[in-house]
Amino acid sequence: MSGRKKIEIQEDISPNLIPMIDIMFLLLLFFMLGADMGHRELEEVMLPKAWSIKEDKEIKGEKLDRLTINIYHRYPNEVQCGAYAAGRICREEGHWRIGIGGKDFSDPPRLETRLKEEADLFRTDANDSRSMSDRRIMIRADAASPYGHVKDVMNLCAKVGIYQIECGAARPGDKAVAGG
Amino acid sequence: MAGSQNIGESSDNPVAINVTAMVDVIFCLCIFFMCSFHFKQLEGKIESWLPRGSAASLKSAEKVLLEDIRVVLQWDSENGATVRRVGNRPPASGDRELIQIVLSMAADYKNLNRPDFSVQIQASREVPWQDVVHIMDLLKKENIEKIEFTAES
Repeated sequence: MSGRKKIEIQEDISPNLIPMIDIMFLLLLFFMLGADMGHRELEEVMLPKAWSIKEDKEIKGEKLDRLTINIYHRYPNEVQCGAYAAGRICREEGHWRIGIGGKDFSDPPRLETRLKEEADLFRTDANDSRSMSDRRIMIRADAASPYGHVKDVMNLCAKVGIYQIECGAARPGDKAVAGG
Repeated sequence: MAGSQNIGESSDNPVAINVTAMVDVIFCLCIFFMCSFHFKQLEGKIESWLPRGSAASLKSAEKVLLEDIRVVLQWDSENGATVRRVGNRPPASGDRELIQIVLSMAADYKNLNRPDFSVQIQASREVPWQDVVHIMDLLKKENIEKIEFTAES
Protein backbone atom coordinates (compact mmCIF):
# COMPACT_ATOMS: atom_id res chain seq x y z
CA MET A 1 0.00 0.00 0.00
CA SER A 2 1.18 3.37 -0.76
CA GLY A 3 1.53 6.01 1.89
CA ARG A 4 0.08 9.49 1.88
CA LYS A 5 -0.84 10.90 -1.45
CA LYS A 6 1.16 13.91 -2.27
CA ILE A 7 -1.00 16.88 -3.17
CA GLU A 8 0.38 18.73 -6.12
CA ILE A 9 -0.44 22.40 -6.39
CA GLN A 10 -0.61 23.63 -9.90
CA GLU A 11 0.87 27.08 -9.90
CA ASP A 12 0.86 27.80 -13.60
CA ILE A 13 -2.81 28.58 -14.26
CA SER A 14 -3.53 29.83 -17.78
CA PRO A 15 -7.19 30.76 -18.40
CA ASN A 16 -8.43 30.34 -21.94
CA LEU A 17 -9.10 33.84 -23.23
CA ILE A 18 -10.49 32.87 -26.62
CA PRO A 19 -14.24 32.73 -25.65
CA MET A 20 -13.93 36.02 -23.83
CA ILE A 21 -12.33 37.68 -26.83
CA ASP A 22 -15.06 36.27 -29.07
CA ILE A 23 -17.76 37.70 -26.85
CA MET A 24 -15.95 41.02 -26.62
CA PHE A 25 -15.79 41.19 -30.41
CA LEU A 26 -19.51 40.47 -30.68
CA LEU A 27 -20.31 43.15 -28.11
CA LEU A 28 -18.06 45.58 -29.91
CA LEU A 29 -19.73 44.82 -33.23
CA PHE A 30 -23.20 45.31 -31.74
CA PHE A 31 -22.41 48.67 -30.22
CA MET A 32 -20.50 49.90 -33.26
CA LEU A 33 -23.41 49.07 -35.57
CA GLY A 34 -25.89 50.65 -33.17
CA ALA A 35 -23.89 53.82 -32.67
CA ASP A 36 -25.16 57.00 -34.28
CA MET A 37 -22.27 58.38 -36.26
CA GLY A 38 -24.45 60.23 -38.72
CA HIS A 39 -25.39 63.85 -38.89
CA ARG A 40 -27.48 65.04 -35.95
CA GLU A 41 -30.72 65.40 -37.87
CA LEU A 42 -32.97 64.19 -35.09
CA GLU A 43 -32.60 66.07 -31.84
CA GLU A 44 -33.69 64.41 -28.66
CA VAL A 45 -37.17 65.74 -28.11
CA MET A 46 -40.09 64.46 -26.07
CA LEU A 47 -42.61 64.08 -28.86
CA PRO A 48 -46.32 64.66 -28.27
CA LYS A 49 -48.40 61.53 -27.83
CA ALA A 50 -51.11 60.58 -30.28
CA TRP A 51 -52.92 57.35 -31.10
CA SER A 52 -53.74 58.19 -34.70
CA ILE A 53 -50.19 58.34 -35.98
CA LYS A 54 -48.87 56.55 -39.01
CA GLU A 55 -45.75 54.49 -38.73
CA ASP A 56 -42.83 56.46 -40.03
CA LYS A 57 -40.93 53.97 -42.17
CA GLU A 58 -38.40 56.52 -43.29
CA ILE A 59 -36.83 56.58 -39.87
CA LYS A 60 -36.03 52.89 -40.25
CA GLY A 61 -33.54 53.42 -43.01
CA GLU A 62 -35.52 54.27 -46.11
CA LYS A 63 -34.56 57.17 -48.28
CA LEU A 64 -34.96 60.50 -46.51
CA ASP A 65 -36.40 62.95 -48.99
CA ARG A 66 -37.63 65.47 -46.49
CA LEU A 67 -36.29 68.17 -44.28
CA THR A 68 -36.59 67.69 -40.53
CA ILE A 69 -37.12 70.74 -38.36
CA ASN A 70 -36.64 70.21 -34.64
CA ILE A 71 -38.22 72.48 -32.04
CA TYR A 72 -36.75 71.83 -28.62
CA HIS A 73 -35.72 73.49 -25.39
CA ARG A 74 -32.21 74.90 -25.31
CA TYR A 75 -29.70 72.85 -23.39
CA PRO A 76 -29.09 73.57 -19.67
CA ASN A 77 -25.59 74.85 -20.43
CA GLU A 78 -27.12 77.53 -22.68
CA VAL A 79 -30.03 78.79 -20.59
CA GLN A 80 -30.91 78.34 -16.95
CA CYS A 81 -34.59 77.47 -16.88
CA GLY A 82 -36.03 76.49 -13.51
CA ALA A 83 -39.41 75.55 -14.93
CA TYR A 84 -38.01 73.17 -17.52
CA ALA A 85 -35.53 71.69 -15.08
CA ALA A 86 -38.38 71.00 -12.67
CA GLY A 87 -40.40 69.29 -15.36
CA ARG A 88 -42.90 72.12 -15.67
CA ILE A 89 -43.89 73.86 -18.90
CA CYS A 90 -41.52 76.64 -19.94
CA ARG A 91 -43.27 79.55 -21.67
CA GLU A 92 -40.18 81.63 -22.37
CA GLU A 93 -40.10 81.79 -26.14
CA GLY A 94 -36.40 82.57 -26.13
CA HIS A 95 -35.67 79.31 -24.37
CA TRP A 96 -36.83 77.30 -27.36
CA ARG A 97 -34.80 76.63 -30.45
CA ILE A 98 -35.74 75.81 -34.01
CA GLY A 99 -32.96 73.60 -35.35
CA ILE A 100 -32.14 71.93 -38.63
CA GLY A 101 -29.30 69.44 -38.79
CA GLY A 102 -27.95 70.59 -35.46
CA LYS A 103 -27.84 74.27 -36.48
CA ASP A 104 -29.86 77.07 -34.96
CA PHE A 105 -32.56 78.53 -37.21
CA SER A 106 -34.56 80.36 -34.56
CA ASP A 107 -34.09 83.59 -36.49
CA PRO A 108 -37.13 83.76 -38.84
CA PRO A 109 -35.32 85.38 -41.82
CA ARG A 110 -32.59 82.75 -41.64
CA LEU A 111 -35.16 79.97 -41.46
CA GLU A 112 -37.07 81.45 -44.36
CA THR A 113 -33.92 81.58 -46.49
CA ARG A 114 -33.17 77.96 -45.71
CA LEU A 115 -36.74 76.86 -46.43
CA LYS A 116 -36.73 78.77 -49.69
CA GLU A 117 -33.53 77.04 -50.76
CA GLU A 118 -35.11 73.68 -49.99
CA ALA A 119 -38.35 74.60 -51.74
CA ASP A 120 -36.53 75.73 -54.87
CA LEU A 121 -35.09 72.24 -55.32
CA PHE A 122 -38.55 70.70 -55.70
CA ARG A 123 -40.61 73.35 -57.52
CA THR A 124 -43.40 72.00 -59.69
CA ASP A 125 -42.34 74.57 -62.26
CA ALA A 126 -38.59 74.93 -62.16
CA ASN A 127 -38.72 78.26 -63.98
CA ASP A 128 -41.22 79.83 -61.64
CA SER A 129 -39.88 80.57 -58.18
CA ARG A 130 -43.41 81.24 -56.96
CA SER A 131 -44.78 77.83 -57.92
CA MET A 132 -45.58 75.23 -55.28
CA SER A 133 -42.85 72.96 -54.00
CA ASP A 134 -43.15 69.21 -53.45
CA ARG A 135 -40.54 69.34 -50.72
CA ARG A 136 -41.75 67.54 -47.60
CA ILE A 137 -41.12 68.93 -44.16
CA MET A 138 -41.17 67.03 -40.88
CA ILE A 139 -41.76 69.17 -37.80
CA ARG A 140 -40.48 67.43 -34.68
CA ALA A 141 -41.59 69.69 -31.89
CA ASP A 142 -41.25 68.94 -28.21
CA ALA A 143 -44.60 68.20 -26.57
CA ALA A 144 -44.15 71.15 -24.23
CA SER A 145 -42.96 73.61 -26.86
CA PRO A 146 -45.17 76.65 -27.50
CA TYR A 147 -47.55 76.20 -30.40
CA GLY A 148 -46.42 79.62 -31.65
CA HIS A 149 -43.10 78.20 -32.86
CA VAL A 150 -44.82 75.44 -34.81
CA LYS A 151 -47.18 77.99 -36.28
CA ASP A 152 -44.26 80.21 -37.30
CA VAL A 153 -42.62 77.30 -39.12
CA MET A 154 -45.88 76.42 -40.86
CA ASN A 155 -46.39 80.04 -41.89
CA LEU A 156 -42.90 80.23 -43.37
CA CYS A 157 -43.44 76.93 -45.19
CA ALA A 158 -46.64 78.28 -46.71
CA LYS A 159 -44.86 81.50 -47.61
CA VAL A 160 -42.14 79.76 -49.62
CA GLY A 161 -44.59 77.33 -51.26
CA ILE A 162 -44.09 74.19 -49.19
CA TYR A 163 -47.39 72.56 -48.37
CA GLN A 164 -46.56 68.97 -47.40
CA ILE A 165 -46.03 69.02 -43.67
CA GLU A 166 -45.65 66.11 -41.29
CA CYS A 167 -45.78 66.43 -37.53
CA GLY A 168 -43.70 64.07 -35.45
CA ALA A 169 -45.56 62.24 -32.70
CA ALA A 170 -45.18 59.10 -30.63
CA ARG A 171 -47.76 56.50 -29.76
CA PRO A 172 -48.66 56.56 -26.04
CA GLY A 173 -47.16 53.73 -24.07
CA ASP A 174 -44.69 52.67 -26.71
CA LYS A 175 -41.63 51.09 -25.22
CA ALA A 176 -38.29 52.55 -26.10
CA VAL A 177 -36.31 50.53 -28.59
CA ALA A 178 -32.62 50.29 -29.20
CA GLY A 179 -31.40 52.66 -31.82
CA GLY A 180 -28.56 54.81 -32.76
CA MET B 1 -7.51 44.04 -17.01
CA ALA B 2 -6.49 40.84 -18.63
CA GLY B 3 -3.30 39.20 -17.63
CA SER B 4 -0.49 38.23 -19.93
CA GLN B 5 -1.76 35.02 -21.56
CA ASN B 6 -1.17 33.27 -24.78
CA ILE B 7 -3.76 31.94 -27.17
CA GLY B 8 -4.11 28.17 -26.93
CA GLU B 9 -1.76 25.77 -25.34
CA SER B 10 1.89 26.38 -25.83
CA SER B 11 2.36 22.79 -26.95
CA ASP B 12 -0.24 23.22 -29.75
CA ASN B 13 0.87 26.60 -30.89
CA PRO B 14 4.54 27.29 -30.78
CA VAL B 15 4.05 30.94 -31.81
CA ALA B 16 3.12 32.95 -28.77
CA ILE B 17 0.92 35.96 -29.38
CA ASN B 18 0.43 38.44 -26.59
CA VAL B 19 -3.23 39.35 -26.60
CA THR B 20 -3.17 41.63 -23.59
CA ALA B 21 -2.93 44.83 -25.59
CA MET B 22 -5.72 43.74 -27.93
CA VAL B 23 -8.04 42.87 -25.05
CA ASP B 24 -7.31 46.24 -23.45
CA VAL B 25 -8.16 48.09 -26.64
CA ILE B 26 -11.35 46.08 -27.13
CA PHE B 27 -12.37 46.86 -23.56
CA CYS B 28 -11.83 50.56 -24.15
CA LEU B 29 -13.79 50.49 -27.40
CA CYS B 30 -16.58 48.54 -25.76
CA ILE B 31 -16.84 51.02 -22.90
CA PHE B 32 -16.84 53.93 -25.37
CA PHE B 33 -19.67 52.53 -27.48
CA MET B 34 -21.64 51.37 -24.44
CA CYS B 35 -21.48 54.82 -22.92
CA SER B 36 -22.44 56.57 -26.15
CA PHE B 37 -25.31 54.20 -26.85
CA HIS B 38 -28.78 55.52 -26.25
CA PHE B 39 -32.31 54.26 -26.69
CA LYS B 40 -34.62 55.90 -29.14
CA GLN B 41 -38.37 56.19 -28.95
CA LEU B 42 -40.54 54.75 -31.70
CA GLU B 43 -41.74 57.64 -33.81
CA GLY B 44 -44.65 58.22 -36.12
CA LYS B 45 -46.10 61.13 -37.98
CA ILE B 46 -49.32 63.00 -38.56
CA GLU B 47 -49.57 64.09 -42.16
CA SER B 48 -51.03 67.48 -42.93
CA TRP B 49 -51.17 69.69 -45.96
CA LEU B 50 -51.14 73.44 -45.97
CA PRO B 51 -53.48 75.18 -48.39
CA ARG B 52 -51.96 75.29 -51.86
CA GLY B 53 -53.61 78.57 -52.83
CA SER B 54 -51.97 81.84 -51.97
CA ALA B 55 -55.07 83.14 -50.25
CA ALA B 56 -58.17 81.61 -48.77
CA SER B 57 -61.18 81.69 -51.05
CA LEU B 58 -64.13 83.79 -50.06
CA LYS B 59 -67.03 81.88 -48.68
CA SER B 60 -70.31 81.93 -50.49
CA ALA B 61 -73.48 83.08 -48.80
CA GLU B 62 -74.60 79.48 -48.45
CA LYS B 63 -71.51 78.46 -46.60
CA VAL B 64 -71.75 81.02 -43.85
CA LEU B 65 -75.17 79.80 -42.79
CA LEU B 66 -73.52 77.17 -40.64
CA GLU B 67 -71.25 78.04 -37.78
CA ASP B 68 -67.61 77.16 -38.33
CA ILE B 69 -66.45 74.28 -36.20
CA ARG B 70 -63.65 75.97 -34.35
CA VAL B 71 -61.80 74.50 -31.39
CA VAL B 72 -60.27 77.35 -29.42
CA LEU B 73 -57.28 76.68 -27.17
CA GLN B 74 -56.06 79.35 -24.78
CA TRP B 75 -53.27 79.20 -22.28
CA ASP B 76 -54.24 79.93 -18.68
CA SER B 77 -50.99 81.16 -17.22
CA GLU B 78 -52.36 81.33 -13.68
CA ASN B 79 -53.29 77.67 -13.57
CA GLY B 80 -50.64 76.56 -16.05
CA ALA B 81 -53.20 74.72 -18.16
CA THR B 82 -54.90 75.00 -21.52
CA VAL B 83 -58.54 76.09 -21.65
CA ARG B 84 -60.42 74.39 -24.48
CA ARG B 85 -63.77 75.30 -25.93
CA VAL B 86 -65.68 75.17 -29.18
CA GLY B 87 -66.47 78.55 -30.70
CA ASN B 88 -67.85 80.91 -28.08
CA ARG B 89 -69.19 78.18 -25.87
CA PRO B 90 -68.06 77.75 -22.26
CA PRO B 91 -64.87 75.76 -21.70
CA ALA B 92 -65.21 72.01 -22.08
CA SER B 93 -64.57 69.98 -18.96
CA GLY B 94 -63.04 67.05 -20.77
CA ASP B 95 -62.29 65.32 -24.05
CA ARG B 96 -65.69 63.67 -24.21
CA GLU B 97 -67.64 66.91 -23.85
CA LEU B 98 -65.44 68.69 -26.37
CA ILE B 99 -65.72 66.00 -29.01
CA GLN B 100 -69.47 65.64 -28.46
CA ILE B 101 -69.96 69.30 -29.33
CA VAL B 102 -67.78 68.93 -32.41
CA LEU B 103 -69.63 65.79 -33.51
CA SER B 104 -73.02 67.43 -33.07
CA MET B 105 -71.90 70.35 -35.23
CA ALA B 106 -70.45 67.93 -37.77
CA ALA B 107 -73.80 66.15 -37.88
CA ASP B 108 -75.45 69.44 -38.86
CA TYR B 109 -73.09 69.72 -41.83
CA LYS B 110 -73.77 66.14 -42.87
CA ASN B 111 -77.54 66.67 -42.61
CA LEU B 112 -77.20 69.51 -45.10
CA ASN B 113 -75.20 67.28 -47.48
CA ARG B 114 -72.02 69.12 -46.69
CA PRO B 115 -69.57 66.34 -45.88
CA ASP B 116 -66.64 68.52 -46.91
CA PHE B 117 -66.61 70.47 -43.65
CA SER B 118 -63.41 71.11 -41.80
CA VAL B 119 -62.58 71.64 -38.18
CA GLN B 120 -60.47 74.66 -37.33
CA ILE B 121 -58.00 74.75 -34.49
CA GLN B 122 -57.35 78.20 -33.14
CA ALA B 123 -54.66 78.17 -30.50
CA SER B 124 -52.72 80.92 -28.79
CA ARG B 125 -48.93 80.94 -29.08
CA GLU B 126 -48.35 79.77 -25.50
CA VAL B 127 -50.43 76.61 -25.77
CA PRO B 128 -48.22 73.50 -25.52
CA TRP B 129 -47.86 71.63 -28.80
CA GLN B 130 -49.00 68.45 -27.04
CA ASP B 131 -52.47 69.94 -26.45
CA VAL B 132 -52.81 70.89 -30.12
CA VAL B 133 -51.72 67.42 -31.23
CA HIS B 134 -54.17 65.92 -28.74
CA ILE B 135 -57.07 67.78 -30.39
CA MET B 136 -55.87 66.58 -33.81
CA ASP B 137 -55.68 63.06 -32.41
CA LEU B 138 -59.24 63.25 -31.04
CA LEU B 139 -60.56 64.50 -34.38
CA LYS B 140 -58.73 61.85 -36.38
CA LYS B 141 -60.08 59.15 -34.11
CA GLU B 142 -63.57 60.35 -35.11
CA ASN B 143 -62.52 60.16 -38.78
CA ILE B 144 -62.45 63.93 -39.16
CA GLU B 145 -59.53 64.39 -41.49
CA LYS B 146 -59.93 67.98 -42.61
CA ILE B 147 -58.26 70.02 -39.92
CA GLU B 148 -57.24 73.62 -40.39
CA PHE B 149 -55.09 75.88 -38.29
CA THR B 150 -56.31 79.42 -37.96
CA ALA B 151 -54.63 82.55 -36.75
CA GLU B 152 -55.69 83.99 -33.44
CA SER B 153 -58.36 86.64 -33.81
